Amino acid sequence: MKQKMTSMIKKNLGGWLIMLPSIFLFLFFIWIPLFSNVSLSFYDTVGYTKETFVGLEKYEAVLTDPLFTKALLNTLLYTFWSVVIGFLVPIILAIILSEVVHLKGLFRTGIYFPNIVPGLATVIMWTFLMSPESGGVLNSLLSLFKIEPQRWLDSPTMVIPLIVITMTWKGFGATTLIYLATIQSIDSVYYEAARVEGASVWQRIRHVTIPNLSPLIRMLFILQIISVFQVFYEPLVMTSGGPNNASISLLQLVHRYVFRYGDASKAAALGVIVASMLFILTFVYLKLSKNADNT
Amino acid sequence: MKQLKTKSYGILIFSDYKKTSFKILYGVLIGILILTLLITIFPPLWLLLSSFKSASELYELPFSLFPKNLNLGKVKDVWSSLQFGNYYMNSIYVILGALVCSILFNGLLAYAVSVLKPKGYKLVYNMVLISLMIPAILNMGPLLNNIVNIGLSNSYLPLWLVYGANPFNFIMFKTFFDKLPSSLFDSAQIDGCNKIQLFYKIILPLSTPIIMVIGIFTINAAWSDFLLPFLVLNIDAKQTVMVKIYSLYSVMGTSMNFGPDKLLMVLALSVIPPVIFFLIFQKQITSSVATSGMKD
Repeated sequence: MKQKMTSMIKKNLGGWLIMLPSIFLFLFFIWIPLFSNVSLSFYDTVGYTKETFVGLEKYEAVLTDPLFTKALLNTLLYTFWSVVIGFLVPIILAIILSEVVHLKGLFRTGIYFPNIVPGLATVIMWTFLMSPESGGVLNSLLSLFKIEPQRWLDSPTMVIPLIVITMTWKGFGATTLIYLATIQSIDSVYYEAARVEGASVWQRIRHVTIPNLSPLIRMLFILQIISVFQVFYEPLVMTSGGPNNASISLLQLVHRYVFRYGDASKAAALGVIVASMLFILTFVYLKLSKNADNT
Repeated sequence: MKQLKTKSYGILIFSDYKKTSFKILYGVLIGILILTLLITIFPPLWLLLSSFKSASELYELPFSLFPKNLNLGKVKDVWSSLQFGNYYMNSIYVILGALVCSILFNGLLAYAVSVLKPKGYKLVYNMVLISLMIPAILNMGPLLNNIVNIGLSNSYLPLWLVYGANPFNFIMFKTFFDKLPSSLFDSAQIDGCNKIQLFYKIILPLSTPIIMVIGIFTINAAWSDFLLPFLVLNIDAKQTVMVKIYSLYSVMGTSMNFGPDKLLMVLALSVIPPVIFFLIFQKQITSSVATSGMKD
């Protein structure tokens, strides 16, 4: 009995010692900053030193800040446009890619290619392509079709869809490959049965491909919303939130509170608000992915 | 067209392709893929070619993809005037440390959670899972403050160690370890292996594929990262390629001798290494993206 106890302690102790350094890193880089954010959000601060407890005052300050309303609205617009522009493209391309037998490797590599271009380089590159000068690349291409030069990122109505296009360009390849893997794992038997019954191409896609894909579609849909909700460095680099805050996002506002206004506690309060929203979205995602596992 | 005559899987098979309408459809599909390829290849290609253009040539009409002359002297000029070799070395230095931390710390944690399962491991597992959904930028302020307070500003140490707390890599390791046969661990323990020996004698040699994948993703991420490095590395001589580009981009136009044409050259120089890297490891990268669902 005693021996059993010591061996049990020994077994657990070894495991914990092995985990300890990694746990320490998770605490230092993720959990301690998170908790200090939560506690900072209830105080008046000088730098990161807490001065006086102010309760929910900082939350009120954030929620009544017109910039917050703007950033929240923009973030929802980013999400909306990313679904409109980027949601169907990977599904369609994956279906096409799974059917094509020629140059398959080249197409797959080419579609994934933007994913390996560093994010910072991607956004600066696209900012150049969308230069509002008449000699800018996209404007020059438009002039071939006799279309007037556009303001691109300087236009308050176009700026968010354009940033979303940049994000989609960078990310759609990975999503396409994920869909492709699932499509290729669909048993040919189903298609054969559909053919025997005389199903048209559209019916085969509608009744075989899509149902097999739909758990993944649901999951990636929520995952996309969660990830676009965190849009940050793209507007930071491409427009610094402009023109006139037309593209500022929630996380960019956190960044602005800290690094431009030096208001750590207001940033902390906004951080807690954003984290709660993400928490809800993730909860939905986990519910859905559980359902997806069961089917 | 021969390949189509033997295609026996998927939505359309050889018997469908006897009809002309499906042959046309197939042509349309190929056309769409070629168009997609153009969209993915054109911007980087434009970047590469335009980096050779002079400042006045950049916005010149009519638009031309190709520079008037392939001015290789400009590469040398930009490279040496910025001493760009230094930033490359710094980036490589950051990558090497990130690689070690990413594999060692996430691997060990996953090993403990997946194989050893000490009492209370589920708590640790959940803690890591929840950290998945906390965006890094939310923590940036307090984290930077702590880094400065313990005297690690301008040090590479935090930039290495941050890769040791990566929930994505942890999950990939754990998923892989979960699939290893447990009889293997039992027999090793009967043979008198202790926990550390079990890790580096039995598990590590079996884990080369997953280590490769995580290594490749870590190298790419460490090369591309600029946010934390920008905040931690204030001394120019310590900056990485991406940090340098970020600071050059923010001062572009304000300094007489650094205009957009030079920025394009620097950008091209930052894109070339990952492209070469991708061409070497494209098989591992594209297949692991598909199976792990991991992006970036």
